[in-house]
Amino acid sequence: MNLGKVFSKGLIFDNPTFVQVLGMCPTLAVTTSAQNGLGMGLATTAVLIGSNLVISLTRKVIPSKIRIPAFVVIIATFVTMVGMLLKAYLPALDAALGIFIPLIVVNCIILARAESFASKNSVIASITDGLGMGLGFAGALVILGGIREFFGAGSIFGTPVMVDFFHPARIISQPPGAFLVLGLLLAIFNGITSKSRPGEK
Amino acid sequence: MRDIVKHGLILLIITTIAAFVLGLTNDVTQAIIVERAEQKNIESIKALLPEADEFQKVEGVAAGIILEVYEGTKGGNVVGYTVKTLPKGYGGTVETLVGISIDGKVVGLKIGEHTETPGLGSKVADAAFVNNFIGKDAIAFSVTKDAPAKDADIQAVSGATVSSNAVTTGVNASTELFNNSLKNR
Repeated sequence: MNLGKVFSKGLIFDNPTFVQVLGMCPTLAVTTSAQNGLGMGLATTAVLIGSNLVISLTRKVIPSKIRIPAFVVIIATFVTMVGMLLKAYLPALDAALGIFIPLIVVNCIILARAESFASKNSVIASITDGLGMGLGFAGALVILGGIREFFGAGSIFGTPVMVDFFHPARIISQPPGAFLVLGLLLAIFNGITSKSRPGEK
Repeated sequence: MRDIVKHGLILLIITTIAAFVLGLTNDVTQAIIVERAEQKNIESIKALLPEADEFQKVEGVAAGIILEVYEGTKGGNVVGYTVKTLPKGYGGTVETLVGISIDGKVVGLKIGEHTETPGLGSKVADAAFVNNFIGKDAIAFSVTKDAPAKDADIQAVSGATVSSNAVTTGVNASTELFNNSLKNR
């Protein structure tokens, strides 16, 4: 199995946000700023790598009949750990992400990768897949958050970048703006990648 | 039948390991989290009542939206009280922290955790709104949409009357508690 291919699949060609359109709840809710998008993306990446690693390691001992409860326990454990660590060492990020940290448990990207990849592939490939998918998700959230922050608040990563007479369009940083920007990004992303998708013309 | 027992045992092993790992993580992080929360609490009440250098929790007054009350002292003399309230706003509760000096003036007001609409209701946490209360006598305030006519009038943040009301409710609960019981302690 070509690791580079596995990685680039997650990052671009099978991007969880722009192509698979998975995990929309955190995507729409936390991307009010680039900073929040990055934090959520990295927290999810950490959970994804951890759960893919453990699920791949245990794929031969977990009978398929009870794989779903087993996966959920493993994923929930990693999420809770990430939550505790964030609370202890990065309280500002924890406050910004709030309820969406424990909700990583029900982010379907993680269960989807456990079910369709980690439970069938080697440990190294599964870690690579987790890294690729996680970074693909994080990248999408940063782009979405960055655009919303720029137009909605006139700043990028908290630094004001717009001139004084620019009036931010508040709607972009509110829920409708999430849908508007995500829709446009989906169209642009798929317009670009559909031309260079491997195995298709 | 045998399958059920076997599967149950496997799940038991998985959950046991998970519980063990979580316990370890909790051991490492718990102390830091508690310390951080305490530190944050003390820091925030110090900012409300800068005159005081020591704080002691007042027991038995928490009721309704009033969460906790601290008595601030300086050199053994009571200089004022801080009250933490949790009134209901537009998007949830709005943590409102009020500092009242012993001579009956609102000396500090801080909005803590809240989930008001960003860019609208969230403005009640800004100095521009909060300063409306500072330095005034600890009386019952009321929110108005027009320019304030008397001392008790607080002009609402435009487009965020519910959020402004929430903060005022929190302040009023604090001043009421102060006037009714705290100042005569």
